[in-house]
Amino acid sequence: MSAVATAETEYSQTGKYSGREDALALVTDQSTDLGAALAACAAGDRSALRRIFDEEAGRLVAMAQRIVRRRDLAEEVVQEAFIRIWTHAHQYSPERGSARGWIYAIVRNRALNLLRDGSREDLVADDRLETLQDSEQLEQIMAAWHRLDRNSRLKECLGRLDETRRRGILMAYVGGYTHGEIAGRLSLPLGTAKSWIRRGLLSLRECMA
Amino acid sequence: MKLTPSEFPAIADEYVLGLLDEADKVAVETEIERNPALAEAVAEARESFLPLDTSVDPAAVSPVLWEAIESRLPEQGVSPSPTAPPIAAVQPASPMAAGNDNARAGGVSSGWRAAAVSAIAASLILAGGLVWSVTRTVDPLVVAVLLNEAGEVQAVVEDFGNDTASIRLLADFAVPADKTMQVWTLPSREMGPMSLGLLEDAHSTTLHGPALPRPQDTQLYEITLEQAGGSPTGRPTGPILAKGFAKLAR
Repeated sequence: MSAVATAETEYSQTGKYSGREDALALVTDQSTDLGAALAACAAGDRSALRRIFDEEAGRLVAMAQRIVRRRDLAEEVVQEAFIRIWTHAHQYSPERGSARGWIYAIVRNRALNLLRDGSREDLVADDRLETLQDSEQLEQIMAAWHRLDRNSRLKECLGRLDETRRRGILMAYVGGYTHGEIAGRLSLPLGTAKSWIRRGLLSLRECMA
Repeated sequence: MKLTPSEFPAIADEYVLGLLDEADKVAVETEIERNPALAEAVAEARESFLPLDTSVDPAAVSPVLWEAIESRLPEQGVSPSPTAPPIAAVQPASPMAAGNDNARAGGVSSGWRAAAVSAIAASLILAGGLVWSVTRTVDPLVVAVLLNEAGEVQAVVEDFGNDTASIRLLADFAVPADKTMQVWTLPSREMGPMSLGLLEDAHSTTLHGPALPRPQDTQLYEITLEQAGGSPTGRPTGPILAKGFAKLAR
C-alpha cells in the first residue's frame, strides 16, 4: 500500500492534476503495480489478488458503503467484486484506462447493482442502527468533494459549478443516487434535475479539459 | 439515447455516474466492445471522477473478508493465448460490462469468465458445427457457439436467416418447473435483443421466430432463464445461461 499511497499523496500535493490526459498518464504511472498484479492474477497468482486487496480493500469498502450504506452490504459488494477481478483480470488492458480505475469501476458497478435491485428505502428500513441515515449520507457525499486535495483540478472545477448542480453530480457519483432520487432530494422536477446534471457535467468537462 | 461520437463524452459521464437507465447502460456496454472511441471516453470519465473514491478514508477491513474471498476463488485457467481465437476476442472486456451479467437476477455467480480458457474447445466445436452444417442440404448463415460463464460450451445456434434457427443443447440444464429457457439474439443495437423463442423442456429444437434482419458475423446469441411462458417484458430479464457470438458459415 505504501508505495502507491505515497505517490498519490505527492501527486495531489504538487497539484498537477491539470487535465484529462495528464490525469490518465499520472494514474497509469501510479497504477503500474496494480496493472502487474492484475496480470499476475490472470496467471493464477492468488498472492497478487491479496496485494490488491491489502492495498485497496479499505477504500473500496468505504466507497461501496457510501453507496449501499450498510457495512455488511459494502463488504459483500467488495467480496463479489474481488471474485470478478480475479476471473476477469485477463481482460484488463492499459487501453481501458488505469488498473485502479478498472478495479474501482468493478466495485462501483457491483454496489450500484445491489442498490438498484432492491430499493434504497428497503435497505434503509432493514436495520436502522446499522444504516447511514439520509442526512448523514448527504454529509458524506459532500465531504467527498471537500476531501479532494485543494489543488486538484476536479475540486476546483466542481467548485465552479453552482451548488445544486454540484450536489446533483456528487449525489450520483458518490452516493449512487438515480435521477429520480436526486430530483426528490433537491426538490426539483425530474426533467429539470436531469438537464441541470447534464449541463453541470458539460461545464465540468470544459473546465477539466 | 443516440450513440453518436459527438455525444460520447456526455454519455460516458452519465454512464460512469450510474445515471443511465438499464437499456442505455447495456447499449453502452455493448458498444464499448467494438468502439474504441467510446471506450476511451469512458476511461477518461472514470479517471476524472476517480479521485472522489481514492480520497475516501479507508475502512478498517477484517481479515475475515479476505478469507471469504480466497475461499471462493475458482482456479485460474490456462493463460490466454496471444493469438486467441475470434470468440475470445469478442468477449466483453469488462468492467464496462461489469454490471451486465444479469447474475443478480438469478443468483448465478459473477462473471463471464472467459473464453480464453475455452476458446480452443469452442473453436473445435465451431469447426465441427460448420462441417456438420455444410453437409446438410440447407445451410445456416451463421453458427454461434454459446458458452456459460465458466467458459464451457453449452449450446450451438445455427441461424438460417429465414426466421428459423436451430438450437442444439450440449449440456444439461436444470430448469425449475416455473421457468423456461428463452433464446435471444441482438440483430442490432437499435433493435435491441429479440426473442427467437422458448426451449420447451430444455431440449434441442428448431425455432421459428419473428422476421429479423439477415444474421451478421459476431452477432450475439444468448439463452436466458425466464419465467414460464417467456420473459414478460419481451427483453431478457433472467440470468444468462449461455452466450456467444456468431461466425458466418463459409
